[in-house]
Amino acid sequence: MTTGVPGLDGVLGGGLVTSGVYIVVGEPGAGKTLFANQLCYHQGRDGARCLYVTLLAESHARMLANMRDMAFFDSAQLPESVYYVSGFRTLEEQGLPGLLELLRREVRNHNTSILVLDGLVQAQEAAGSSRDFKKFIHELQVSASLSRFTALMLTSSNGPTVHPEYTMVDGILELRERTLGVRSWRELQVRKFRGGATLSGVHTFRISSQGLEVFPRLEARMRRTPPPDPGSERVHFGIPSLDALFPGGVAKGSTSLMLGPPGSGKTLMGSSLLSEGLRRGEQCLYMGFYESPERLLHKVAAAGMDMGEAVKEGRMHILWQPPAECILDVLADQLLSAVQRHQVTRVFVDGLSAMSQAAPDSSRISSFFAALTQELRIQCATTFFSLETPRLFGPVLDMPLEVGPSAVAENLFFLRHVELEGRLRRLLTIFKLRDTDYDPSIREFRISRQGIEVLPPFDVALDTLLTGLARHRTGGHP
Amino acid sequence: METVLVVDDEQGILEALADLLREEGYRVLTASHGREALERMSELRPDLVLTDWMMPVLDGPALIERIRAEPSWAGVSLLGMSAVDVGPLRVQYPGIPFLQKPFDIPALMKQVRKALDGKRAASG
Repeated sequence: MTTGVPGLDGVLGGGLVTSGVYIVVGEPGAGKTLFANQLCYHQGRDGARCLYVTLLAESHARMLANMRDMAFFDSAQLPESVYYVSGFRTLEEQGLPGLLELLRREVRNHNTSILVLDGLVQAQEAAGSSRDFKKFIHELQVSASLSRFTALMLTSSNGPTVHPEYTMVDGILELRERTLGVRSWRELQVRKFRGGATLSGVHTFRISSQGLEVFPRLEARMRRTPPPDPGSERVHFGIPSLDALFPGGVAKGSTSLMLGPPGSGKTLMGSSLLSEGLRRGEQCLYMGFYESPERLLHKVAAAGMDMGEAVKEGRMHILWQPPAECILDVLADQLLSAVQRHQVTRVFVDGLSAMSQAAPDSSRISSFFAALTQELRIQCATTFFSLETPRLFGPVLDMPLEVGPSAVAENLFFLRHVELEGRLRRLLTIFKLRDTDYDPSIREFRISRQGIEVLPPFDVALDTLLTGLARHRTGGHP
Repeated sequence: METVLVVDDEQGILEALADLLREEGYRVLTASHGREALERMSELRPDLVLTDWMMPVLDGPALIERIRAEPSWAGVSLLGMSAVDVGPLRVQYPGIPFLQKPFDIPALMKQVRKALDGKRAASG
């Protein structure tokens, strides 16, 4: 049974199992009520009849008022498809047996296929003993099986998330909000699930006017199949002086990492890869975090790359996401969906550092990057990532992230500023390039209205160029 | 003293409405679903039934059907209330006024007064 929550059915291995009994646990405000309503209106559209029973929860009028602005809400489904009743008074006066009787009777009266019990913690508190509560869940499970309805019981976490009393249910979903400093985000975890291969671990979700939207953790949903063999297809930048450094080009579908400090030319270098793709009639995608699409187009146009027309024609796609408060899996989903939707063959992600800042847990970056590049390889998209190095000058060459991304990338380019003969120059060197010969010399390159031009090797003997503090081999600075 | 029967499965709403109406000088009976309402009515005939629409056991439409079917309750005024969009209900039940939940106290009192005055005018 599909939930109507984008991304969740993938986490659950297809959805909920019909006639199953599920517990959704989470702190107040975690999104349980919204989730249950979203499921009801989604299933209601397909003809299901849903009974929503509240115990000590917000009033139905208030609940519906909160739902009215949600895209999934459909007032026409009330009261035939989604029916709200309160079971609190029955619970107060008749205890769990009375509540169970009410649930059974109302399920029959409304020919219910989905039952939501919002406020299970009230039933738990009303139970005389842990055994009574277990009995209540057991009897509800028997009813669900006999009457063929699926039950969702919502409860706030009171004590341990997974009570021993919950062991009989078919699944437990936990929703929670996490905070780090001033930043917060929402997480979903399937704590137990019978009947399906779920994606383990923690997944991010967000709440918007669309309701809940789950973004399965990329590493968990990553396909294990090997990427297709790109054969002999190679990819070039379309800059003769640059392509001459590695005449064989980079492998189609490969991943390249371009390191460099701010202003070293990473954006233009990566954009030239896309510009060449557009010239060859390919679909290209730029994902950036700092420059707005307008500024980017202006910037590349000033370097001889007019992409405006390609954007209008739908051949060049720009995903721009201001770096504040991004969610890592949302970014991955946006990127991979766009690549798949438009059959993109060249991708430039301008700002791997901004992407990595979207991960509250930095230890995840390496595995995330490996999963992301695997998916891009499977889609045969040749991808460049730019990664900002923190120092403009100095003898230390920093690797800003852990070794992960550079180990996963087949190709590694390094851009640098150097002060030479009273001028600040831009340098390019290739650290590694898989399966092809390349010129390892350190080259100066220039950016002009005609684009990028890589200059011939230096004609004087210089050392420590990459430190940004060049000196003649004979000693002293030039 | 006029008698109002309030029927709602949400106990908080039921108690709040009962208190408000008592403060306004009405005698108030309460029931948490339609069947309980019918039991109350058989004990004491109210002047007005203020009923919710979605309820367990016996819902608002079924309650109204039963009241209308009983000749001795012919003069009892009816006032519906629901969190569901009441627009279609007004069309479906043209003789019954509806309050859209959530409503404020003046709107409630106005509708209650209007329903009772209408009954008095009809009988007088």
